Amino acid sequence: MKLLMKLAWRNVLRNKRRTVLSGIAVGITLASLIFIDGIYIGMFDSMIRTATDSFLGQGQIHAAGFRDTFDVEKVINNSRDVMKSLGSEDLLTGFSERTVSTAMLSSAAGVNSVLLYGIDPEKERGMSMVDEAIREGEYLAPEDLGRIVIGSKAAETLEVETGDRLVITMAQAGTGELSQDMLRVAGIFHMGIREIDGGIAFVNIEKSRELLALGQEAHEIAVKFKNINDAGNRLLPIWKKYSQAGNEALGWRDLIPQLDGVMEMADLSTIITSSMVFCIVAVIIIHTLFMSLYERMFEFGVLRAIGTRPVSMSLIIFFEAASLSFFSILFGLGLGYIVMQIFSVYGINYTGIEFAGVTITELIYPVMTIRQFTFFPALVFVFSLVAAVYPAVFAARLTPAKAMQRSM
Amino acid sequence: MHEDVLKVQDVSRIYSTDGLKVNALRSVSLSIKGSEFTAIAGPSGSGKTTLLNIMSGLDTPTSGSVMLGGKPINTMKGSELSDFRRDHIGFIFQSYNLIPVLSVKENIEYIMLLQGIGEGERRTRVASILKQVGIEGMEDRLPRQLSGGQQQRVAVARAMVSNPDIILADEPTANLDSATGASLLDMMRELNEARGMTFVFSTHDTMIMDRARRLVILKDGKVAKDEVRK
Repeated sequence: MKLLMKLAWRNVLRNKRRTVLSGIAVGITLASLIFIDGIYIGMFDSMIRTATDSFLGQGQIHAAGFRDTFDVEKVINNSRDVMKSLGSEDLLTGFSERTVSTAMLSSAAGVNSVLLYGIDPEKERGMSMVDEAIREGEYLAPEDLGRIVIGSKAAETLEVETGDRLVITMAQAGTGELSQDMLRVAGIFHMGIREIDGGIAFVNIEKSRELLALGQEAHEIAVKFKNINDAGNRLLPIWKKYSQAGNEALGWRDLIPQLDGVMEMADLSTIITSSMVFCIVAVIIIHTLFMSLYERMFEFGVLRAIGTRPVSMSLIIFFEAASLSFFSILFGLGLGYIVMQIFSVYGINYTGIEFAGVTITELIYPVMTIRQFTFFPALVFVFSLVAAVYPAVFAARLTPAKAMQRSM
Repeated sequence: MHEDVLKVQDVSRIYSTDGLKVNALRSVSLSIKGSEFTAIAGPSGSGKTTLLNIMSGLDTPTSGSVMLGGKPINTMKGSELSDFRRDHIGFIFQSYNLIPVLSVKENIEYIMLLQGIGEGERRTRVASILKQVGIEGMEDRLPRQLSGGQQQRVAVARAMVSNPDIILADEPTANLDSATGASLLDMMRELNEARGMTFVFSTHDTMIMDRARRLVILKDGKVAKDEVRK
């Protein structure tokens, strides 16, 4: 065995240029696979963050069916008990109750329909990026009942600036009676997501409850997890626990199903890309081994003639494939690591591009995972050996006389 | 009186190429006794290479049988045949055909490694055979660092080191100049005399024919002459 390994190893080094070129080709394919996977993970992490941190929250609790109709009467059942219980959840880093209703904003210049969120300004700071997205004016203060925060697009439509007055009109729960109030614009936010900047506005939850005649009820509780991966795990018991008594608790996968769908599609696309990459690896390995085999046909004939068993001939080919693959993998890992490091510093600029209903608002940085540097190389190695089966069988079946047609 | 080492009985070999049938060998029968120094000669296309291939189990006859050491090699296949060749036949090829990535010592050791012979025994045998073939001190060189004659001496050493029943040599002097060829043949003849090793050559080199103790002439796939010399 040691002899065959030695023979294979020296054969790999025999034609250094070919070995190096094949190694580079296989290494580049592995590095590409690592990079593509890293970019996918980075992009989806960013999209999930953008989608959940901007305002949505990583998870939400509502009355069952509320999201279908946004009926203001569908308030969370036993919201006080739910809030109390959420306070003792170890997985969570915060939560915030909200009211959600449609409202009409009117200014001297025009009207704009918005989804009006009543929020607890302090709790919301840790939940969403509304406070960080303020471009003009200021964020709501807890005691700020007469002010409103609107998006940049809505401000443009209404032609208002901070300090200007707006009339808000909405229908009360239960009676459907219209209620109106005059609010001053405290701040104008800009999140870079057209639907949010033009269609959402925020007031203090006490004000929205007053306008909706909701008492102490809420329509939505947004929750944030210590680990964002938990928010995407549908199997966690927390979802079942809060999906009781007429309420439903949903993670971001269910809140933004289109993003989840795209991620599943991306997983499939990674499998397809990987398969193509592995096919390329297989072709390179088969080509290299056959080139080498044909070049040494007579030598293989001699090896068979002097008593090398067919299985040993196959082993020589397998060892050659393993050696080539091993060094290609080392090169690929090195290259993959360097490329990932470079792009993790500089990032890739996809900002402004909308994908799966989420606008990318930050640079995409590839994410390195253990899997990329263990599972992918292992697969490349296994594929190389699988690719070597054909040339190995060919070598084993070589008849010495045919291989040595030039001589005996 | 030596016993038959190799017995070729009524062997025919027909090749089919592009629908054409070529009778390379026609009912050839031949026995090689131990310690013989035999040359199989004949013009190109006479069937001498085919006969040597069949005698060594590298090719199978269309009909007839080949017995080596009392065993029918024409019915052996796969690993059994490989092992049999490894243990019973030594090969010397026309263009040396050493393994280029192995050193002289490793080339000579190759068959012993396949046989599972221990390191100590291998070392002793390699040292001894290097001395016998006159290439001492070159054991760590690669084949490309040797002259043609030296490479062929290594090939002889590789063929002999496992003490096979018979050594089959295909045109061993074809790529050597006459002086080197003569020296190599003299060396093989000495080894034949000293160790009683059986040699069979396929050749049209008169130097080999002159030195052979038995000369078999093939013509059109048949034995035209079989002459034992003194």
